[in-house]
Amino acid sequence: MRFSDFTPFDIWLLLQGLGVSLGLFFSTSLIGLLIGTLWAVCRFYRVPVLTPVITFFAELLKNSPVLVQLFLVFFGLPGLFHIRITPTTAAMITLSANSAAFVYVIAVSAIESIGRDQIEAARVFGLTRWQVLRHVVAPQAMAFAIGPLTALLVNQLQVTSLISVIGVVDLTKIGNILNLRTLKPFIVWTVVGLLYYVCAKLLAWLGARFENRLRAHAAWRGL
Amino acid sequence: MRFDLSILLPHLGFLAQGALLTAEACALALIGSVIMGAFVAIARTSSSSVLRRISFVYVDIFRNVPFIVQLFFFYYGLPEIGIYIDAFTTGVVALSIAGGAYASDVIRAGIMAIDPGIIEAAEVSGLSRRVVFTKIVLPIALRTSVRPLGSVLINMVLTSSILSTITLNELTGSAQIVVSQTYRPFEVYIVLLVVYAVLTYLVSLGIALLHRRLNRDMMEAVA
Amino acid sequence: MLKVENVQKAFGPTTVLDGVNLTINPGEVVSILGSSGSGKSTLIRCINGLEKLNGGSITVDDFDVSKPKELAEARKRSGTVFQLFNLYPHMTVLGNITLAPIEVLRKPRAEAEATARALLQSVGLGDRADAYPAQLSGGQRQRVGICRALAMQPRYLLLDEVTSALDPEMTSEVLAILAKLAAEGTTMLFVTHEIEFARQISNRIVFLDKGKLLVDLPTADFFAAEGGMAHQRIAQFLSKMRKE
Repeated sequence: MRFSDFTPFDIWLLLQGLGVSLGLFFSTSLIGLLIGTLWAVCRFYRVPVLTPVITFFAELLKNSPVLVQLFLVFFGLPGLFHIRITPTTAAMITLSANSAAFVYVIAVSAIESIGRDQIEAARVFGLTRWQVLRHVVAPQAMAFAIGPLTALLVNQLQVTSLISVIGVVDLTKIGNILNLRTLKPFIVWTVVGLLYYVCAKLLAWLGARFENRLRAHAAWRGL
Repeated sequence: MRFDLSILLPHLGFLAQGALLTAEACALALIGSVIMGAFVAIARTSSSSVLRRISFVYVDIFRNVPFIVQLFFFYYGLPEIGIYIDAFTTGVVALSIAGGAYASDVIRAGIMAIDPGIIEAAEVSGLSRRVVFTKIVLPIALRTSVRPLGSVLINMVLTSSILSTITLNELTGSAQIVVSQTYRPFEVYIVLLVVYAVLTYLVSLGIALLHRRLNRDMMEAVA
Repeated sequence: MLKVENVQKAFGPTTVLDGVNLTINPGEVVSILGSSGSGKSTLIRCINGLEKLNGGSITVDDFDVSKPKELAEARKRSGTVFQLFNLYPHMTVLGNITLAPIEVLRKPRAEAEATARALLQSVGLGDRADAYPAQLSGGQRQRVGICRALAMQPRYLLLDEVTSALDPEMTSEVLAILAKLAAEGTTMLFVTHEIEFARQISNRIVFLDKGKLLVDLPTADFFAAEGGMAHQRIAQFLSKMRKE
């Protein structure tokens, strides 16, 4: 590699990296949301063996560094099971699991924020657990959870930057490549930082708008 | 597939050294964060709109850009402007600046939660603004902020694993070296995961104790 | 001398003080009476500089409270006791009382503590110097508040409804101390609902109604039929308070 200056092609490189980052972010967030909510529903139904296992798992994922989790999946699993996985697959698995753990906690707290008396009243009227979940708990829990979920997603966007360490060519990896080639760290890292910043702010703004819409629906419109 | 933890035994000392480095870096960065956080919190609540805006921008930037990007910015950037500091110091500086952004939010909330009557009593007895801040506002705000600052510290311990990417041999960096010597990534990283989880648990216990001790005198006595 | 001249104060569109004139001479005990919202507390808060005036002036021994540099001097000469005590929760009783003397009057710690302990002794809290405010009852906290104000050796003691947050038993213990202070010649400006108490220890009574100073009379004249009671508002007010 020759040391060279910036070229217009670098913009394309950065955008590609951003695309990889965002692609992984959206897919793992979606999977994480689904799995995390599933876990929370599991807890709502108080499934016997699964619930404590899930809680233990989630605590472990929450209280350990994402980087170590990435290493475990990318380097550790192939060693143990004699399989080979790509960096991208490892990233997908790790980030999804990590997001799921945080979503689980938010969902549980959102469900628990709904007074027990409401749920009891609904049950007394003959609604099944599922009906209570669907009509009473879920709408209110969602409105409650949007704020913390938005903050979580903004954080998970930043966390995607770590997949560069196991070789995924995301925005941070492109930053590394450009940095090594042009030897202009201030420009490179400021631009990379700016791109992440703009995405984070956009995400936060979308979350706030969505929250307002949800709350408008849930608000009491009067007689 | 073979799972054998005993191969780690001869390397425990080396890992312990890495853990010590993590602890040192986090302790120093905690002090740095609290100091930065206090200054920024004061700026955020000051009557000067310029100070308020600058401090808001600082917090906004360092909360919405991934830590690894911030770290690379300092690690590769500082030598360009003639500042040559080792990886450890760079890591501590980066952690302090990032931690300071979160700490400032916490301390600011603590400041705003103080009963305004207490500030009035202090002002009216002739105390200067500087003394009111250092003897009344900050001591009270810091006491109530112990728990959320504990969360910042826990986050910092997990984030410190990223320092391994700038060749620092803290806990994660040491573990990577052990993997390269034992060829047992799964065992090493699983143990690493658990060690971090235990570390954060111990920190949260310590925080709870500290909170109780510091606030003991301010809690209402049981009649 | 504490001079309040033609003071105007408004919060937004609401006028709270409208052309109030008042003079307090050293040694006098003056009570301010009036219904809620009449501007009593606001007047005290203007005197100690917590609120800014919209018109008129207030001078404490010729120091103008509207001028920042002079306000510091004015504050050294006045002490305030608050309705809700406002003690520093993270400091001991001793710390609360000695903070301002050490920082503002630059007294050495030993001297400040000795004064503080003497003050605590005089209010019956000599053994509680190392307690924290959270461990004290309301009446005890207010007594500490009084000591804290007195520790600065103020010329004028401002008391803003200092017994309103206390139950009857604690109220009487605090009032006893205030009566003693009055007897000793301390200059005091009271805002209070305790009419009987005001009658017993004040030299003068001032009545505020909707921001205007209706009367400023010696105590005996205030309660006389041809004096204060001649005003309908005052008579109404007193009869309502007496019923409670």
